[in-house]
Amino acid sequence: MSNINIMQERNIQKISAGQKAVRVLSKTGTYIFLLIMALIVLFPFYWMIISSLKTLAEYRQAVPTFWPRQVMFGNYVEAFTTAKLGDLFMNTLYVGIVSTLLSLVITVLSAFAFARLEFKGKETLFGALLATMMIPGELFTITNYITINQLNWMHTFTALIVPFLVSVFYIYLLRQNFMQIPNELYLAAKVDGTSDLKYLWKVMIPLALPTLISITILKMMGAWNSYIWPKLVANDDAHQMITNGLRNAFTDTSGQANYPVQMAAVAIVSAPLFLVFLCLRKYIMSGVSRGGIKG
Amino acid sequence: MVDNKQQWKAWLYLSPAIVLLLVFTVWPIFNTLRMAFMEGYGNMAAIGGATFEFGVDNFLKVIEYKKFLQCLQNTAILCVATVPISTILALLIAVALNSIKPLQKTLQTIFFLPYVTNSIAIGMVFAAMFNIVGLKQGAGVADTWGIINNVIQFFGGEPINWINAGSSYVANMVVMIIYIVWNALPFKILILLGGLQSINKQYYDAAKVDGTRRGRVLTKITIPLLSPMLAYVIITGFIGGFKEYSSIIGIFGEIMGPADDAGRLNTMVGFVYDALERDRQGRASAAALILFAIILVVTLINNKVIKKRVHY
Amino acid sequence: MKVVLQNLTKIFPSRDKKANKEVVAVNDFTFEIPDGQLVGLLGPSGCGKSTTLYMISGLQKPTSGKIFFGDDDVTELSTENRGIGLVFQNYALYPHMTVKQNILFPLQNLKGKDKLSKQEMLDRAFEAAKLVQIDELMDRKPSELSGGQQQRVAIARALVKMPRVLLLDEPLSNLDARLRLQTREEIRRIQKETGITTVFVTHDQEEAMSISDIIVVMKLGVVQQIGKPQAVYDDPQNLFVAKFLGTPPINVLEGKVSDGKVYIGEQVVMEVDGVEDQDVYIGIRPEGIEPHPQGVLECRLNNVEIMGRDASVVSTHDAALTPVVRAIISSDITVDTTAETVRFNIKPHKFFLFSKETEQRLYYEVKKHG
Repeated sequence: MSNINIMQERNIQKISAGQKAVRVLSKTGTYIFLLIMALIVLFPFYWMIISSLKTLAEYRQAVPTFWPRQVMFGNYVEAFTTAKLGDLFMNTLYVGIVSTLLSLVITVLSAFAFARLEFKGKETLFGALLATMMIPGELFTITNYITINQLNWMHTFTALIVPFLVSVFYIYLLRQNFMQIPNELYLAAKVDGTSDLKYLWKVMIPLALPTLISITILKMMGAWNSYIWPKLVANDDAHQMITNGLRNAFTDTSGQANYPVQMAAVAIVSAPLFLVFLCLRKYIMSGVSRGGIKG
Repeated sequence: MVDNKQQWKAWLYLSPAIVLLLVFTVWPIFNTLRMAFMEGYGNMAAIGGATFEFGVDNFLKVIEYKKFLQCLQNTAILCVATVPISTILALLIAVALNSIKPLQKTLQTIFFLPYVTNSIAIGMVFAAMFNIVGLKQGAGVADTWGIINNVIQFFGGEPINWINAGSSYVANMVVMIIYIVWNALPFKILILLGGLQSINKQYYDAAKVDGTRRGRVLTKITIPLLSPMLAYVIITGFIGGFKEYSSIIGIFGEIMGPADDAGRLNTMVGFVYDALERDRQGRASAAALILFAIILVVTLINNKVIKKRVHY
Repeated sequence: MKVVLQNLTKIFPSRDKKANKEVVAVNDFTFEIPDGQLVGLLGPSGCGKSTTLYMISGLQKPTSGKIFFGDDDVTELSTENRGIGLVFQNYALYPHMTVKQNILFPLQNLKGKDKLSKQEMLDRAFEAAKLVQIDELMDRKPSELSGGQQQRVAIARALVKMPRVLLLDEPLSNLDARLRLQTREEIRRIQKETGITTVFVTHDQEEAMSISDIIVVMKLGVVQQIGKPQAVYDDPQNLFVAKFLGTPPINVLEGKVSDGKVYIGEQVVMEVDGVEDQDVYIGIRPEGIEPHPQGVLECRLNNVEIMGRDASVVSTHDAALTPVVRAIISSDITVDTTAETVRFNIKPHKFFLFSKETEQRLYYEVKKHG
């Protein structure tokens, strides 16, 4: 009897020891997999930075070096002047800030109307707006290109800003946010004789601030990353956006290109995005997960 | 009275959005349709007083056009290759991330990094990694083979001409697929991890009580419960894939191909813009409508398939 | 299969890293659950009852102590090898599977020599479904079932692999009042039919009392009392147990024992032997007092609630710690509702003394009562 018990106990111990080994192994495997994937994800950034600090000669060595022997900050200066990055920065910032501000005003007013006011055809209009989200932007671009031409807006900042001021998606996002604020607050404000705009400013905007911040960041990132539309309507020196400027300054991607300087330029262009991301990670990730598809 | 006042106010608040939408969204929908069905429509020509006949010629021209078929093929290959690869990788990474505690936040941030990049700028970095400097055609020598080839050589392989003049179509495509997958991962990981974290932990406890093996938990519980999120990333992945354009510009530049074969990697969107810039708005509109139709059909098929599989 | 808990202790590290305070969820729990019994773990939230259940299931590991199933030490054994069935509070039915698929799921996990053929699996699944009377619903999805039906599916899923021990976590808390009564009878019936040793957790004392063979009353991780429901009710070992069991709850009054006399205020309500002079809490079950013109306890009368068979005399007393002093009497007995006061006689076996200092029961022998 006691023998059987001991046997059973031994079996049980064997099982649990085996299980522990499996568990430790699989945990280790999980970490190894994740770390390898993380290295693959990070490698291009690493390669960009060390390449940007190498001399051209070192870059063209047959045997690659994983840390620059001679750190060449000069590449950054050269990149900055070659690509006229200063001007490009200013252009992009200007377009980004103006379009973000105007867009916020339009979005807030529209979202408020859809969330709080009663008017005929509200549901129909909102449904129609949502339906336009299904259509790929390329379809609009063709006609908008003609429109910009006819309005004589070619090669102006206006052409870069105005067509993209209204985003149905942002209106939708903010409306959802506004709707979560109880209607009683609005009625109470009405009883106290508060005007719509004051109520909007004092109550709704502070409560919807996280969404507004997400919109601002996504909008600024949009300006920073825009390429196709600026290339079509404002690709001249005075109005060039940063991505277009970068691409135009370094047309060679293969062959004998001066990669260290090119990588320095790429690093300069990428840096603001990373800074913003590290500071405002929470807003960006929540904004994206609520449906912000790139582009 | 109050009602009337509210109506008036609502339209006032909405007016900027409505005016802009009418000009830049609603009008383009009609105009694009109109141009697509006017044979050989060009804006400059129209301003010059030319008139165009109504017909489906634009569509026929587009479909017959060899370049368009090349664009369609490139786009389709990129879609079919990148969506499954990136979805499966993202799923594995998300599941792995969800199962660990230490380092989870840090790794999550790292995996999100590619999202906050400029796809043209980082495309240039990828180009640098795959580029061969000083290649002597046919001699098999070069100054530097590029870091990717260095890695291949380290493991005993032969260097490959990925993107330079003389490179093969397959090699070009492999580079594009790697870059697009790298770029697509963060969004998918974010969505899938969010989905995983919202699955009630009790399902896993229940599975544990029943002695379910890990693989079975993944296929029988995690993936079915995650299926709405998977459907979402697959559909958005396909839509994104059909609109692929700037990542190719990032790596190959505006010639959309290796130096000796410009335009080889052009896509549907690229085709639309090329036609647009050449004042062939009719043809561009027709191509854009075809693109729209393809996206619509793919989305509908996806929805159908998904309805069959996502049902609770 | 008997289940033995030996000095079972679970300590959770503090969530707040700075405070560095550990939470002792279960403290030194020793208990042997006899084979085939239905045991209710009872206590207010945070008393450690769920933690105990999860330790028996193996989903949580004890900090110290041992768990035996029969003679097997299963303390280090992982959940899947313990052969238990667990019904979760929210049932945890897989929403994407039909009832049949849910019940089959545990069987499909079996491997090696335990592996069953498809037909055997189906037979067992239908057998389990019949036992809980859901065999008509096999092709539905959980979302198409009522709460009570989901509960049955969860039980069927737990039973289908013939567990050595069945564990139920708050099995009735998600059901409405009427279903609750019905389902608890059902659980009792299923347990009796299968004879599986069953442990369930609840915060509802009525539920625990009505179906358990044995109840375990817990508070802040410490077992207060173990026994047959009626025995625990009739003989509470401390004030907490006395207060926790019984609806309406026990009346508690402050008083003192002096020279063998039990005082409430100035009134002597009972004379006892074997209790030293001290301040005490006095617990009297509502059914333990009845109005009597010469009663020993005088209270201010509030009102009388008549509920069919019973009536409830509601009064107040300055020494009472409970908001009211309540007496449950037969509705045949008439009480003058216009009177200012009411006097009660006390039944000694419903009358408990607790030390004011330790709140432990003080046992006594009755010398004289009113």
